[in-house]
Amino acid sequence: MLRNYLATALRNLARNKLYAAITVLGLSLGFAAALLIALFVRDEFSYDRFIPGHRDTYLVTLRMKTPTTAWSDASDTEVWTAPLLKAQFPEIQDAARLTKAYFPPLVQRGLVKIGEQQFMWADPNIFRVLPVPVLAGDLQTALDTPDGLVLTRAMARKYFGADAPLGATLLVDGHPMRVTAVIRDLPSNTHLIGDFFGSGLAAFSVLKQSEQINGVGDYSHNTWTYVRLKSGVSPAAIEQRLPDFLAQRMPIQPGLESTIGKVSQSLHLLPLADIHLWPSNQGAMKPGGDRQVIAAIALVGVLIVGIAAINFVTLMTARANRRAVEVGVRKAMGARRSDLIVQFLGEAMLYVLLSTVVAVALAELLLPPANGLLQRTMSFNYLGDPSLAGPIVGVALIVGLLAGIYPAFILSGFRPAAVLKGGRSAAGGSPWVRQGLVVVQFAVLVGLIIVTTTVARQTYFALNDSLRVDKSQVLLAFVSPCTDNFRNRVLALPGVKSAACASAFALNFTESIDALKVGDHSADIDGAGVDFGFFEVFGVKPLAGRLFQQTRSTDDLHADLSATTSIVLNESGARKLGFATPQAAIGQIAYWHGPVRMAHTNNPDEPTEIIGVVPDFSFSGPRAGIHPSFYYVGPKEASISIALAAKLDGRRIPETLAGIDRIWADVGDGNPMIKAFVDQLMLLRLIDSLIQGVVIAICAGLALFIACLGLFALSAYTAEQRTKEIGVRKAMGAGTGDILRLLVWQFTKPVLWANLIAWPIGWWVMDRWLSGFAYHVDLNPLTFVFAGTAAVLIAWVTVVGQAFLVARSKPVAALRYE
Amino acid sequence: MLRLDQISKTYRTTEVETSALSEVSIEVGAGEFVAVMGPSGCGKSTLLNIVGMLDSPTDGAYWFFGQDVAGYSEAKLNRLRRDNIGFVFQSFNLIDDLTVAENVEVALIYRSGSGGARKQKVADALERVGIAHRARHRPQQLSGGQQQRVAVARALVSAPKLILADEPTGNLDTANGEAVMGLLAGAADAGATVVMVTHSLAHAAAAHRTIRLLDGRVVSETLLGS
Repeated sequence: MLRNYLATALRNLARNKLYAAITVLGLSLGFAAALLIALFVRDEFSYDRFIPGHRDTYLVTLRMKTPTTAWSDASDTEVWTAPLLKAQFPEIQDAARLTKAYFPPLVQRGLVKIGEQQFMWADPNIFRVLPVPVLAGDLQTALDTPDGLVLTRAMARKYFGADAPLGATLLVDGHPMRVTAVIRDLPSNTHLIGDFFGSGLAAFSVLKQSEQINGVGDYSHNTWTYVRLKSGVSPAAIEQRLPDFLAQRMPIQPGLESTIGKVSQSLHLLPLADIHLWPSNQGAMKPGGDRQVIAAIALVGVLIVGIAAINFVTLMTARANRRAVEVGVRKAMGARRSDLIVQFLGEAMLYVLLSTVVAVALAELLLPPANGLLQRTMSFNYLGDPSLAGPIVGVALIVGLLAGIYPAFILSGFRPAAVLKGGRSAAGGSPWVRQGLVVVQFAVLVGLIIVTTTVARQTYFALNDSLRVDKSQVLLAFVSPCTDNFRNRVLALPGVKSAACASAFALNFTESIDALKVGDHSADIDGAGVDFGFFEVFGVKPLAGRLFQQTRSTDDLHADLSATTSIVLNESGARKLGFATPQAAIGQIAYWHGPVRMAHTNNPDEPTEIIGVVPDFSFSGPRAGIHPSFYYVGPKEASISIALAAKLDGRRIPETLAGIDRIWADVGDGNPMIKAFVDQLMLLRLIDSLIQGVVIAICAGLALFIACLGLFALSAYTAEQRTKEIGVRKAMGAGTGDILRLLVWQFTKPVLWANLIAWPIGWWVMDRWLSGFAYHVDLNPLTFVFAGTAAVLIAWVTVVGQAFLVARSKPVAALRYE
Repeated sequence: MLRLDQISKTYRTTEVETSALSEVSIEVGAGEFVAVMGPSGCGKSTLLNIVGMLDSPTDGAYWFFGQDVAGYSEAKLNRLRRDNIGFVFQSFNLIDDLTVAENVEVALIYRSGSGGARKQKVADALERVGIAHRARHRPQQLSGGQQQRVAVARALVSAPKLILADEPTGNLDTANGEAVMGLLAGAADAGATVVMVTHSLAHAAAAHRTIRLLDGRVVSETLLGS
């Protein structure tokens, strides 16, 4: 019996090549997309699990709030956290730190000198806490000397052209460091970054300097602290004693609390494998994942498989009448309904099996470009990984079962008496069910178009309008420090319209929260040092008052520390200080407490005059929101004045860039200068959002293609079914246009119905997603109209070809058909 | 062998009620060759479907080997059909995806039995109808007459007690029709009960008895020779 079923199935497949190909192609594409999405989801949950002993290893995180801020979580802690924890808690087997310089150190070999962004400074025992895979050398001792340096293989090849240049020397910021070990390049599925790990024992290392500059409790968080617990120790046993530890061993310095107010803080142990999906990105080495995004992408994968499965069901049931005679004969010969269900389910499984094989091949082919897009190194070892092969087969079987059961029931339900007399019978199954499935397919499609369009609009807004500054043709040249001399010489170049130095705070690379007090109103506000002309470079005009002017000495904090200096507020800052309008703030005196002020005056209570209020603007992107801020013309020190912002006229860009390079070569410290347009910087900052948008767009395109495949096949079959009717209509005088309208309208109806389902769901989903941004586009009704119209047009394009062929055929051919 | 007692069959839709058979009572003995005749739409095929348990009557009793099967479940009817009845249809109804031999084998695969025994029975049946040389061909490669031989072979291969033929020569030319009639008559001679619907008086003459239907009722029964 099974041999008979198999022979029937295979020959039926071979005889109906077009429909079989459409079914297999649709299922294969759907499965392949779902496979790649599953690999991505699995990758997201696999972070840092490659590190041996990861279950006993934790990142120490900090939770904190001040009287004027909400609770926030950060990955970085004070530099003294690790040694103090190790001393206090015997349950901690080892504790180690990583830190990174704000400015990339210059790594040099011979004439090659490169600012390496991913240079980390580490405690000598870091690789006992985080034992990453080693290629050469001994990681246990590699950083025990101040000149110890560990490279990744990629860096070893970059500088030495070899995989294991042990003993070789590199200059790091002019200091010789010896290569003591080489590790494998860190995979993409780790929260860690690092091409270089320098020994924190080096006197010039950021780790050593932090220890010298920062005392315990100075609220300076710039170090990643890792602890490895002894085997069997529960983190809860330590966490419940951390509040006392903080209070006794790491209290906030009293002087600081008098400035910023009472600080509430707590330490927590975050499992290594949970770091990537931890909701907070504050202080993170690199942006983490987002469980909601993962869930959304996983849902899209399920929807794509659903669309492919719907294709399968609609095609099988629509063409069921071609098997009606066979069903009637088999029943007449004594086949039970269950025998036929087994037969047709088996055929469904055959299609699914074939599609799975094709899908696996497709996924293998598409994995490298997918890795490129997602910036991952995912692998697809389905033969060697039972945890992958098993689910693949399992899901294929489940989909085959679910998709095949309805056609099997329809086909096996044909009554022999009705089908054996001869003549054509109607398609199997309820036409309402088939229409309903097409409605569902197109509802998913319309929903995906709505999502894709909204994500694209929000991304464009994030890249352009959300900053609220004119960033076109604005170049950032990262030099430390940016001096008046450098600025003035660049300003003199023909292609430069305006230029000003900028601090890391002004560019939202970091923040410095100071306190301002106006009358009885006190508030924590971000303070940002700028240069004369900074606002003008970005086209920011004051809402009230004026901007900084070089001719006024009181506008320069550094010029006369004894005078009442000037500050400019942003809108949010003015509101936070209690001013009803921007104008109301002008001329008011604010008393400024803060580390920057204190560094230059030692007077924590200097009066400053509010000279202007500017609109809110930001370089952080729409998710972060715009903080209440004030601006001052600050000192051009290396750690503060980090970049020159230059507005170019856009006509002589290569010459202008070359001119800036020449000026830097002349006045600079001999180190390379990194240049980037603000557009490029924002692109990098928003790269994850961009990638998500591209992924969703690709999935939507794929879903569209699969749905159109099914619609094409269904329309071809429906047109064939209605051949006699069309022949009669034409004999009665219907023209080609009349027939075309008849056939096209049949497939327009479900698409129109699909909009009724997709629009409210799309609105609810996108409204929730957009509410996660501090600044976002509005949900435009035109987006929904566009999605619905696009779906209708796509359906028309898909079916009109078949419909036209049938509509133009001669009536006699149609009537003779019967 | 079988007896229909006041059998009626009504087809109902939401708007129309059609009476296909009305209080039909007939009896067919074992080994009889009965022809059923009548104009189009008189209920011949409906009668055959009920006798063949492909359809159920609306009213009345159907005694098959002493059992009233009219109210039997589909599963029970299926078993009776499988074990006792062979079918020959006007439009052959061969399965296009199967070879000649595989088409004949379909009548056996739903019963118990080894593959080897089935193959032998199929070979014998094909030999009997003179189509063994086309065992590996597909139906679309055969002529109408050849296809109907295959259908007859399929009906005979399981040695059924009852063979139902619904206009078996309706789509055949004279020569092929004669050949098929010869096969059915041969089956009857061998002991099978044959009930055949036909429009052809000549072919009806091969039967022992002819039953005429009109508008869903039996209007006459004629014995051979009378």
